[in-house]
Amino acid sequence: MVLSSIITVKNLRFGYPKNEVLKGIDLTLHDNELVCLLGVNGAGKSTLLKCILGILKHQSGNISYGNVAQAINVGDGNTSSQSISSEDLDPMQMARYMSYVPQSVKSSFSIDVYDTIMLGRRPYIGWSISELDREIVSKTIEFLNLEDFAFRKFNQLSGGERQRVIIGKAIAQSPRVFVLDEPTSDLDLKNQIQVMKKLKILVSDENSPKAALVAIHDINMAARFADRILLMSDGEIIAGGTPRDVLTPENIQKVFGVTSDVIESQEDNRFWIHVKDEIGGELEDKHVIWEHQNNEDEG
Amino acid sequence: MNPLSEQHILKSRNQIKSIVLLGVTTFVLALIAMGQGPYEKLDIWTTAKMIFGFETPTSTEHSIIWRIRFPRILMAIVGGVALATAGALMQGCLGNPLVSPLTLGVASGAALGAAVAIMLGFSIIGGPLAIIGNAFLFALIVVFIIIQLGSTHSVSAESYILVGIAITFIAGAITSVLNYFATDEQVSQLMHWSFGSLGRVDRDTALFLTIPVVFLVPLALKWSWDLNALSVGGDEFAISTGVNPAGFRKIVLVLSALLTALVISFTGLIGFVGLAAPHMARVIVGNDFRKLIPSSAIFGAFLMLFADTLGRTLFAPIIIPVGVMLSVIGGPFFMYLLIRSKGR
Repeated sequence: MVLSSIITVKNLRFGYPKNEVLKGIDLTLHDNELVCLLGVNGAGKSTLLKCILGILKHQSGNISYGNVAQAINVGDGNTSSQSISSEDLDPMQMARYMSYVPQSVKSSFSIDVYDTIMLGRRPYIGWSISELDREIVSKTIEFLNLEDFAFRKFNQLSGGERQRVIIGKAIAQSPRVFVLDEPTSDLDLKNQIQVMKKLKILVSDENSPKAALVAIHDINMAARFADRILLMSDGEIIAGGTPRDVLTPENIQKVFGVTSDVIESQEDNRFWIHVKDEIGGELEDKHVIWEHQNNEDEG
Repeated sequence: MNPLSEQHILKSRNQIKSIVLLGVTTFVLALIAMGQGPYEKLDIWTTAKMIFGFETPTSTEHSIIWRIRFPRILMAIVGGVALATAGALMQGCLGNPLVSPLTLGVASGAALGAAVAIMLGFSIIGGPLAIIGNAFLFALIVVFIIIQLGSTHSVSAESYILVGIAITFIAGAITSVLNYFATDEQVSQLMHWSFGSLGRVDRDTALFLTIPVVFLVPLALKWSWDLNALSVGGDEFAISTGVNPAGFRKIVLVLSALLTALVISFTGLIGFVGLAAPHMARVIVGNDFRKLIPSSAIFGAFLMLFADTLGRTLFAPIIIPVGVMLSVIGGPFFMYLLIRSKGR
């Protein structure tokens, strides 16, 4: 099978004065692929996602979206197989192509969960809601088991419930690409697995090609669900490939500064990472400084 | 059909019913207000019959109804709709429940304009419209500052509010200085302007002010999806649903401020309705702007009519200005609603 690329990022750079966040990122996202982005806090994962979404404007490099014209019904038939650069899309077209689950939302006034998920249909709606839009939203609510609070106010929900609602909004948006920034950070164990499983179902459907780019902290969740893993460190992607290729003790030590073992499952083909301990004894160093300061105070 | 879809339609219908009921109530209140006045033969019932053509008015009665009472009632409705819609829009796009149409400093600008006209005798237009013209000009300067601010890179919702507060302080300080050197008569004239009254508007002006309001309300309704996205999830969330927050915020604020400037130049300072009407509407229909905007608009008209009618009749023939009456009766009602809705 020939994989068609739906997002191509070339030599992407982004930064603030005196602080370069992304230092030349190259990545390609293909159809039917769930890609996890791993890295420490401040490695540039969220910034990369926001650049791809057009929320942040990158300073140099190029982002192009393949088959975008076909996906969102713009342009004539001839352009359908060409890729389009991020500058050529308006926000509404971007929203039909990619949906986003931010790390957190800043809610000032809240509406019903049902209407919140309906916002995912906004790129398709003029003003009034069609029967199809309602159908999609209702099905999304059932898909994510949100029926119990479909008509409760968004801000009356717990953090984890809210996160699932925002994921619902992203699904109702029927995009080509899901861009999710730590979508499981507030979820309990069962819901973490469920959300990732459902995402995998959506992405694996070969009749409607989709892909997902997920920034995530849980390396075992990534090991289990990702088709590919990109390991980010200090604004660069330092390793990319299948979970088995990328999640080696050496790579994990290099990026996260912890020692680990890869443990093979006896029953199936799965493996997981057993994280052992941090390297370098930073805590001891801090302790020394602390004592030192105390001594100075006394002196 | 999916039971969830059905439930959504049902809930939506019930909310629309509430809005229609609110509209009918406001219309009845307007008819009642038309029947109030010192000319006792034109009571509520007779006036209503004459309005709907069941009885033919004499030419005096016709003049009283259409030249004296109608402009005032129309101005109450138009002013209420304009200020309440502007309030709902601004609260939504700045994501802040404390915002009112006066937050951006438009009112302080207008007051300064009025003070300059009264105390320095300087005005862009002479004659009876001197104060109104000046108030509008100075409010426009504030709108211009807002446009400039909106054009700067990455301006946040907070910056708009802070700049509004700064404008309020600066304009307020200059007005105070003018007050300090003014004669007693000038001070009372400014005081009188700032009270907020519907009595200064003739029929043509009221009809003229209706035009922008008729345009703004449908536009505001069209914006309701973007307002929902912004208020539910903030800027980044809104971008992901296809909104351009910076551009959207700028156009919404400029149009709201313009409309506010237009209304308060004629009526004086009426601030409360723009803050309270959207919150009262929220208690009934919630935060969905597709329903919040029409119900805020109707609540605005209702509040203005109610306050003005009470102000005219309570101590007749003394008329209490609508701005004062609004705060006196609206304030406690507003607090009651907020306490009740928080308790649920």
